[in-house]
Amino acid sequence: MKFDISYTFDALPRLFEGALVTLQISLLGIALSLCLATGLTLVREATGWTWAHRMLAVYISFIRGTPLLVQIFLIFYVSPVIGLDIGPFLAGILAITLNSAAFVVEILRGGLASVPKGQFEAARALGLNGWVLWGKVILPQTFIASVPALVNEYTQVLKATALLSTITIVELMRVSQQIYTRNYHPVEVLTGTFLMYFVMCFAVSRAAAQLETRMKRRQA
Amino acid sequence: MGLELSIFIDYGPRILVGFWLTIKIVVLAIAIGLPLGVFLALARRSRLALLRFAATAFIEVFRNTPFIIQVFLIYYVLPFYGLRLPAEQVGVLALAAFGSAYFAEVIRGGIEAMPAGQLESAHAIGMSETQAMRYVVLPQAVGVILPPLTNQMLSLIKESAILSTITVQEMTMTALRIQGETFRPFEAFIMIALLYWLLNEVVAIGMRRLERGLTRKTPRSTTLKVEGGR
Amino acid sequence: MSRDAKFLELIEITTKFDTLTALDKVSLTVAKGEVVCIIGPSGCGKSTLLRTVNWLAPPNAGTVRLEGQSVGQAPERRQTGRGIRALNTFRARMGMVFQQFNTWPHLTALENVTRAQVVVLGRSAAEAAERARAALCDVGLADKIDDWPEMLSGGQKQRLAIARALAMDPSLMLLDEPTSALDPELVSGVLAVLKSLAEKGMTMLIVTHELGFAAQVADRVVFMEAGRIVEEGPTSQDLHAPKTERLKDFLAKLTATQMPSAMAQKVVAHDPI
Ligand SMILES: Nc1ncnc2c1ncn2[C@@H]1O[C@H](COP(=O)(O)OP(=O)(O)O)[C@@H](O)[C@H]1O
Ligand SMILES: [Mg+2]
Repeated sequence: MKFDISYTFDALPRLFEGALVTLQISLLGIALSLCLATGLTLVREATGWTWAHRMLAVYISFIRGTPLLVQIFLIFYVSPVIGLDIGPFLAGILAITLNSAAFVVEILRGGLASVPKGQFEAARALGLNGWVLWGKVILPQTFIASVPALVNEYTQVLKATALLSTITIVELMRVSQQIYTRNYHPVEVLTGTFLMYFVMCFAVSRAAAQLETRMKRRQA
Repeated sequence: MGLELSIFIDYGPRILVGFWLTIKIVVLAIAIGLPLGVFLALARRSRLALLRFAATAFIEVFRNTPFIIQVFLIYYVLPFYGLRLPAEQVGVLALAAFGSAYFAEVIRGGIEAMPAGQLESAHAIGMSETQAMRYVVLPQAVGVILPPLTNQMLSLIKESAILSTITVQEMTMTALRIQGETFRPFEAFIMIALLYWLLNEVVAIGMRRLERGLTRKTPRSTTLKVEGGR
Repeated sequence: MSRDAKFLELIEITTKFDTLTALDKVSLTVAKGEVVCIIGPSGCGKSTLLRTVNWLAPPNAGTVRLEGQSVGQAPERRQTGRGIRALNTFRARMGMVFQQFNTWPHLTALENVTRAQVVVLGRSAAEAAERARAALCDVGLADKIDDWPEMLSGGQKQRLAIARALAMDPSLMLLDEPTSALDPELVSGVLAVLKSLAEKGMTMLIVTHELGFAAQVADRVVFMEAGRIVEEGPTSQDLHAPKTERLKDFLAKLTATQMPSAMAQKVVAHDPI
């Protein structure tokens, strides 16, 4: 057989649609993950709830110690059995969010570590406390310091969404499977898909690298 | 709807067979991927522009695409060019290629993290290239490289679950089958999740021991971060 | 006699980095037992000159000879085979000390000093350890033998680096701004070690900004600018009656900014390490 690039071209319009879905899901995923991780960070850093800290540690260890695919299957297959009929889309988003948040919590920990201790003292000296201290002083600086790592995390989420094809979510990977199961030209179609993922991820990771050098320079 | 404990007993042995295949696949993938990663790291520092470019391209392509599509592409491309291999072997190759790209980055990072003065001082005192590597560069690089290398190995364990999509009968595939037969997804998936978790922790602890043994108690200043797969 | 006078010869060294000429036909001869201090503004090629001597920075043109034997002759790079082996033998005879110390953090102080003796000179472990102890004692680190470099102060690290070089029993020492990375209060200890080395007759090539030290120790001062030697002469003349305006300016600026460590200098002379 010969590589027939016309199959790649024919697939492109639908692949673009798939890529758009991939982008939407991944952006939703990283946004939710950031929210969840911020909440978890506050619990970890601003409260003395020992039991919550312990559970958080177990959650992070579990997420990091098991395959995302298995986490997706757990949520997708188990939720209907326990009476939560949330469907593949919600199950997928939930899995991606829970997974990514465990990594984002660690990123925010790093960002928080780079906020000078004096900031806490200065804010306290001004009489700031609780929500104002965290919301107005500490968290904004934490986020800014974490930007390159967060952009990098986004590439991870982008790649992770491809796994949602296994639970019938019609994103880029699933679209390409639908195409080649009809035209029997998987190599041509997958090559197009492959390049699309590469362009998206490469662009984002370049941006992350550039942000990182720029921030390092500003610090120096 | 309680927990069906009998599933663990009835299907445990089958899961363990899948677990064993998971371990074998990962070990083989590391055995192939690590030397390939070393080669790629060195190729990236080569004086030949073409070799440098090829290595960089390989690394960037594998790091910037989802593993699942790498697997599918390799699965279909090999027979396309006349190479028919059993799914397990395709899986090992895909995992090795994926891993080698990350291993290469870790190794390159470890070499580059070393201040240039270290190599220079070794040369200045009369050490040959090999002596400088053996006595000055590598002993220090090990401490920097091992922790992120461990993370990459752990990520290979996790990525291997994706080989279930090309019908490799590893642990995740086995769990999928079992949940199809029993309609008890929670028991099936929690069982393998715990085993992955266990394997992950065991390897992590083992590597930390090894690291401590190899680097003694020298204080360390640099840490590398290279994010693997999920 | 002439052999001793031409102990080290650098002949017409030219080094280029892309379009930048770091060294422009520089020639320098050093006699046995002589202490030569190299001064000059940052970026003028001092480090490159020093790194030419042991061929760490192979020049584009020129020759380096040690006791009449060719260390390197541009454009040879000596990166392989017998060339590099011969070069390594030369390097072992030249102790080099860097601004950033470059002590080896994965080895204890003693191991830092024994490693190359064993690996490069083929000394036995016992022999190397004995020599290392003596060298560490000479630099005032007798009580730090089992410490990790990280636990040492900057001054102690630099003295460890000097001991590492001395233990190879070199016939020549190359020192590139050995005190520039040190806190002012740690400078004196290192300079005291160098001074005692000079008194023992060690041939030394020292890049330094410590004029007080140069005045005390150097037989000759070489002033470089933009890749060339601008003025070269006996220490007293160079430092006290410079011939060129350039050197006058340079000395004026340096002394203006350097008073504190020149003061530290005075203390050295009497203080044991
Ligand atoms: N490896 C190198 N690559 C490119 N340029 C270099 C290199 N080493 C030195 N240079 C340049 O050569 C000039 C002389 O450097 P150097 O000898 O380090 O100066 P000094 O030690 O007097 O401050 C400087 O302009 C420096 O930027
Ligand atoms: Mg310099």
